[in-house]
Amino acid sequence: MTTITPMLPEEQEAATTARPARRVRGGRWRLLVRTPGRIFGFAIIILFALMGIVGPYLYPKNLPIDPNAIYAPPSAAHLLGTDFEGTDVLALVVTGARYMLLSALIAGLLTVVLGTAAGVTGGYYRGVRDSVLMRITDFILTIPGFPLLIVLSTVWDFGSPYAMGLALGIFGWGGIARAVRSQTLSLRERGFLEAARGLGLPGRHILTHEILPNVAPYIAMNLLLTITGAIYAEAGLFFLGVVPFNANNWGVMLNIAVFSAGAVTSPRALTYLLSPLICILLLTLGIVLILNAVDEWFNPRLREI
Amino acid sequence: MIEARGITRTFPGRGGLLHRGSVRALRGVDFTIPDHGAVSFIGESGCGKTTLGRILCGLEEFDGGELIIDGQPVSGLRRSQRASLLRRVQMIHQDPYSALNPTRTIENTLGDPLALRARQRGENEDWIRRRRTELLDLVGLDPGYVLPRYPHMLSGGMRQRVVIARALTVDPEVLVADEAVSMIDVSLRLGILRLLRDLREQLGVSVLFITHDVATARYVGRDGELYVIYRGQVIERGPADTVIQHPVHPYTQCLLAAIPVLRGIEQPGAERPVPRGSLDERVEPPGCLFEPRCPFAEPDCRSRQPSLGQLGGTEQEHACLHPKRRPVVAVPAG
Amino acid sequence: MARMAPTVTTGPAAGADAPAAGVRVRDLTVAFATRDGELPAVSHVSLDLAPGQITGLLGESGSGKSTLALTLLNAVPRPGRVTSGSVEIDGVGDVLALPAAQLRRVRGAEIGYVFQASQNSLNPLKPVGKQLLDLGRSHGERDLRGLLRRARALIEDMGLDSGRVLASYQHELSGGMRQRVGIVFALVLNAHVLILDEPTTALDMLSQAAVLAIIKKVHATRHLTTLIISHDVGVIGELADRTAVMYAGRVVEEGPTESLLADPRHPYTRGLLAAMPRITGDLDQARPLPGRPPDLTTIPKQGCVFRERCPLAMPVCAASEPPETVVSSELPETVVSSLNAARGAVADPAGPDSIAPDGGGPDGVPDSGGRDGGGPGLVAETGRRAACYALTEERS
Repeated sequence: MTTITPMLPEEQEAATTARPARRVRGGRWRLLVRTPGRIFGFAIIILFALMGIVGPYLYPKNLPIDPNAIYAPPSAAHLLGTDFEGTDVLALVVTGARYMLLSALIAGLLTVVLGTAAGVTGGYYRGVRDSVLMRITDFILTIPGFPLLIVLSTVWDFGSPYAMGLALGIFGWGGIARAVRSQTLSLRERGFLEAARGLGLPGRHILTHEILPNVAPYIAMNLLLTITGAIYAEAGLFFLGVVPFNANNWGVMLNIAVFSAGAVTSPRALTYLLSPLICILLLTLGIVLILNAVDEWFNPRLREI
Repeated sequence: MIEARGITRTFPGRGGLLHRGSVRALRGVDFTIPDHGAVSFIGESGCGKTTLGRILCGLEEFDGGELIIDGQPVSGLRRSQRASLLRRVQMIHQDPYSALNPTRTIENTLGDPLALRARQRGENEDWIRRRRTELLDLVGLDPGYVLPRYPHMLSGGMRQRVVIARALTVDPEVLVADEAVSMIDVSLRLGILRLLRDLREQLGVSVLFITHDVATARYVGRDGELYVIYRGQVIERGPADTVIQHPVHPYTQCLLAAIPVLRGIEQPGAERPVPRGSLDERVEPPGCLFEPRCPFAEPDCRSRQPSLGQLGGTEQEHACLHPKRRPVVAVPAG
Repeated sequence: MARMAPTVTTGPAAGADAPAAGVRVRDLTVAFATRDGELPAVSHVSLDLAPGQITGLLGESGSGKSTLALTLLNAVPRPGRVTSGSVEIDGVGDVLALPAAQLRRVRGAEIGYVFQASQNSLNPLKPVGKQLLDLGRSHGERDLRGLLRRARALIEDMGLDSGRVLASYQHELSGGMRQRVGIVFALVLNAHVLILDEPTTALDMLSQAAVLAIIKKVHATRHLTTLIISHDVGVIGELADRTAVMYAGRVVEEGPTESLLADPRHPYTRGLLAAMPRITGDLDQARPLPGRPPDLTTIPKQGCVFRERCPLAMPVCAASEPPETVVSSELPETVVSSLNAARGAVADPAGPDSIAPDGGGPDGVPDSGGRDGGGPGLVAETGRRAACYALTEERS
């Protein structure tokens, strides 16, 4: 161990002229409430999250039917009216949220985790690992997702949100893997990664501590976008009726509203049609509104206010 | 101690429509970096000096010759052994803005390699903390100020000091500084150069200083050797001040004559030779590499290849068929 | 400015032998909107570019030198704006007061600008010649053949093969060659005033020397008034007839280059020169400058902007900004004043080599009096000025 003499004070760049450190740590949550738009977006997401978590517990497992009030208009008893068998639409929306949200979340997480893992690993190590991973990625990319799901639905029971999320996630990570890989490749040439390698830091450390934080904003943004994408995909599948619906969810509601209740031609079932539709739009809006907070969340330069 | 013997590196040319010939970045370079010593490499951009530095740090492969670190030849070693040997050489990058991870605080940037080091040495958290403070003190930074900050909150000079502190976490024997001050404010450059000089004296680390700026090379490595590289070949070497004050090779003379003269303080040298044309890497001259641009070329330079040889009775070596001292260096006025 | 070409504009093709134009900057303040309010990047600067001379603007990053240069084009980028002052160019008038259409004409016909990273400002997808024609067309140049002819002549002047350069794409040219092409773009429309922002940054010594030689040559042969902006004392010292040193948005010292370098008076200039390692002389005399250059938000609001790094700082330095005073290394102030009064008739007392401005120069009135925050007409062409209380002390 070498002995060390501190340098002369004149060598030190005076900290007097330096800007004081503004909120170096913490304060990230504040980003979400920095603008009215973000507050609104964040509130929407919290609301739907709550709906997904506690919604099903607010109503009996089998929702009561009311043969006297089929396709009833909104009233004090049924705020959003009723459906073809007189079930409260609000209850349907609330209890149907869990399936949609849970499966979309699973799909999003799976997509992002698989895509990032493949992209970062391939981009950083290159060589054989890269070739193998990218061939798999290309294979995934060439699979036409939506038609495949239709085919899959004939053999697979999509009554469980987990199955649905898994199916959407497993076939959706190709694009992210490609994009993350190219970002990693460009990061690889940056001085700090060369330094990390030169210092002998292990590869896993470099991946998780040096590269990942730098691609994190991109990944997080993709997570949010994939979630909205998954919601659309599900709603589409159920709406087209290609997936046997043995579960209560927004897509099923849309399907029934249009094909059974004739919501397109008659105003009777209008709230029945609009309720799930507005939910999907609201959720998308909420996600879009907080999207620009993601960059600031991960980038210390933008975070400093 | 590091010895390089006949290091060569050829970058393969691109095939296909954009066919370009391969580029010989290094053509058999020999040098020695003694313990506690300083060695400077100067040359214009594309001369191979950066490639050389990267090879030393293990960031680039070499395809010929041998690199010997502390008596151990590098090329025969297994990958892991080789990596740990090359860890004794640390790079100080040119650009302190990209050399630090923008998403991590200085505390983490220094802490990670130190944690690795602590594990190897069986030390604990306390040691890491102590060492981190020591290193920042050593490079002239206030730990309390710097540690919680992100790189973008620091000036270029401070960042470069952090980069140096990070390199020192693994107790290197050699620091390779490639244009280490070119992106730093002028009034802060000398501080970094002096730091490198002090580190040599205080820690005994050797410094390999790579630059096109002769004055900074002189400041850091005055008592060491200066190598002048042209197209991957050492064309002159010797004690730094001797080569700078009394250059023999026409290329060195052109380089030194190109240094701007501060009128009022200095007078230009009596001769200010300028190379002819510009560097064309596609042409491989049969004789002296510098002949196509040499202002003093003679007929036989086109056919004979000079090799590095001693200048009568001095430590200076040069690769020129017609060496001649010329008054090209600026002198103090009045 | 929307245009990205490393240059400027149009107008009637003036002859290259028209008389050089002078530029007078008076009491110029440029402020930038930040989250701490509007802060001045350039503060009450007065500066003359003498016709036919090369003026050097020396300063570190954040000193406001590029901002000052951009005001000569009236092209300060948002969120900056000129809050006071004027920029008079001979034959043009106050650039800051010009209507947009006329401004467009002036940029190029009068002022050629080589931007900082002009090595990288060529369009990578088009050959140089095409971009040159685009430039001519976008400025309403009718005689495109003439434009090309002028460009060829300029390129040949710079020691390059014009046919090859015009047919090349950006990536086929070296850094030094791109820089030369930048100068061609700036001059091909016959500008009288040439502004070069860091013309040799990122070039190695040999390319730098070549570019500097070219600047010297085109300056002389085309009778230009040239402004060179650089952080490198060497570049300024090699080329400039007069030098202005900028620090934290102020011109802290100004004078003939040789005299200024030989005998710097402002502590910042002294510190900067002392912090430069040289290839001659005693290295141990090199001293780092303490502290670091301020940025927009850390420039002291009151008193001398340099006092925190200044070895000569006195209590008065914290109270108010030092006034600019006329200084001379060789002559007593009285003589300088009288020389200034008879301005134009005398040669530069600082050195026989520097070019004295020949008649028809700027009409600033020398002002040695205490001045807070600048005012019009204070440049003593043949003398030197600096803003520092320590200087006032020395004299009394």
